[in-house]
Amino acid sequence: MTRHISDEIILKVHKLTKKYDDKVAVNGISFEVRKGEVFGILGPNGAGKTTTLEMIETLREIDGGTATLAGLNVAEHPYEVRAIIGVQPQAPGFQDKTKLSELIQMFAAAYGEKVDVKKFLDDVNLGDKANSFVENLSGGQKQRFSITAALVHNPKVFFLDEPTTGLDPQARRNLWKLIEEVRDRGISVILTTHYMDEAEVLCDRIAIMDDGNIIALDTPKNLIKNLLAKGFTKNQKVEQANLEDVFIEMTGKGLAAI
Amino acid sequence: MKKMSMRTKLFTVWVFFVTNFKRLFRDKTAIFFTFLFPLIFLFVFGGISGHSGTSFKVAVVSSTDSQYYKDFVTSAGKDKILKIDSKINTLKAAKEAMTRGQLDATIIFPANFGQLKDGHPSGQAEVLYTQNGAQAGQAVQGFLQTRYFTPVNAGIIKTTTPFVAVPKQLNDKSLSSFDYTFAGLLGFAILGAGIFGPINIFPELKKMGILRRLHTTPLRVWQYFLSIMLGNAVVGLMTLGVMFAVAMTLFHLKVVGNYFELAIFLVFSIVLILGIGLSIGGWAKNERQAAPLANIVVFPMMFLSGTFFPRFAMPIWLQSVTNFFPLTPVIDGARLIATEGKHLTQLGPQLGIMAVWMIVVYFIAFRVFRWE
Repeated sequence: MTRHISDEIILKVHKLTKKYDDKVAVNGISFEVRKGEVFGILGPNGAGKTTTLEMIETLREIDGGTATLAGLNVAEHPYEVRAIIGVQPQAPGFQDKTKLSELIQMFAAAYGEKVDVKKFLDDVNLGDKANSFVENLSGGQKQRFSITAALVHNPKVFFLDEPTTGLDPQARRNLWKLIEEVRDRGISVILTTHYMDEAEVLCDRIAIMDDGNIIALDTPKNLIKNLLAKGFTKNQKVEQANLEDVFIEMTGKGLAAI
Repeated sequence: MKKMSMRTKLFTVWVFFVTNFKRLFRDKTAIFFTFLFPLIFLFVFGGISGHSGTSFKVAVVSSTDSQYYKDFVTSAGKDKILKIDSKINTLKAAKEAMTRGQLDATIIFPANFGQLKDGHPSGQAEVLYTQNGAQAGQAVQGFLQTRYFTPVNAGIIKTTTPFVAVPKQLNDKSLSSFDYTFAGLLGFAILGAGIFGPINIFPELKKMGILRRLHTTPLRVWQYFLSIMLGNAVVGLMTLGVMFAVAMTLFHLKVVGNYFELAIFLVFSIVLILGIGLSIGGWAKNERQAAPLANIVVFPMMFLSGTFFPRFAMPIWLQSVTNFFPLTPVIDGARLIATEGKHLTQLGPQLGIMAVWMIVVYFIAFRVFRWE
């Protein structure tokens, strides 16, 4: 993966802190995300990934430190920040009995914008579904639609909180491809995950969080290299394919089936 | 950073309103509860009040054959509110029938009824009723006075005293229990749409993460609320319009008030009651939180604000408390405008109470609203 990532900083997080009563959920973490980068926050449940994301998304109050997105202080300008971010929820839900075209119009309107719905849906191969309801879409179509809807206002940063949790392998790979497409549009992507393979495939850089702290921050390659440099060896021979690849090969529903 | 103009913000409200409005008509359950459910109540309660509630069984004992007496008998026969039992025409028989509960009251016309006195015809009819039939008896007496005698009196005054202002039939004391029933049913429909709508929909939207998703956009709570208000006002007016149409064609409801004022008043009412629903639904994280709270708020209003049980039959102390419930001025006001021809300017007390509630309710709604 040789892509050019600009040096422009789109998000700057400085000593960000969140406390719930006595418990420190996020303990003064700092990191930066560049324009066009896919940035992963990795960690076990309860590490503070979601809380970090929600503070940057303006959904949760910041108790200490600052987050600056495209030059805007998130705590001071929540509405301006919301106008330039897209958020893909963990389990995307849409109201029923509403046409795709209407939902797109509605989301655009939430940002105060009008869109050419037909062109918009054509671009993501959902043009013929414009008059369908979301509940009648296939899983893959729903995923595609959800991401499309979150990007209706052409945001600068796209957030995904554990996007593939609970998905089957095909849907996961499907989503990875969609995320890569978003990245290729020059939109910075920030995602949380607890799947290492996902982080390795998708992310340009990773912050590993544990107990509210960032304990490592680098490219996946460097993180592995550093570990190997310490003399780490796996006690099992690494195969060139794993069981997931077998499954996808046999069912023939890999990326092509999107 | 571009700022959104007010025009743009209202455009957002409009799109949300239109989308959700269209959605409603694709939802069979919603259509049932919005349009048919209130009509079912209308038929049930309209039917009840049409057969027993609005009519009183009376006997007429007369010692006169004056024209005024005859006119009364003819028009009472057309009205169907006083059902005259023609088989009973002596005082003795009437008294016996009353003690047996066959009659609600007996109207006695004395021999001098309709004779000239001080230059114009006059007379005093006596309404007789038993101790335990006092309520019905008084109602018959009041009805007799306002429905038959007041217009007649008005006619007499007009001819004998030329300088008097144009006489007007007083509707405000006329007793038609369907007027009360219908206003109550309007209140019930407003209550249903305004409270049960949001408390069912909001927890569902929260569960599906739909509100959370909207929360990540620059959409403001007031924009969201306004789009819902608009939707409820339009759909509410349609529902109530259907109810009026049915009541007027099938139950002989006479609307004497100004339709425009009525519509304004009903929209104001719908928005007020919706505020209660928005408070509860907006606050509740799930159905389990919403339902009990909604019941606590709805039940007192349902039973004490005059939806199904007329308030005039309640003890005075209870009336003076329930006067201040948000739904009471809604029901009273709707009745005063629709069937008694009052104007908005004459509804100071009702509008005052509603305005105070409006502020309180929306203050709460905005304070407690949660997107998830």
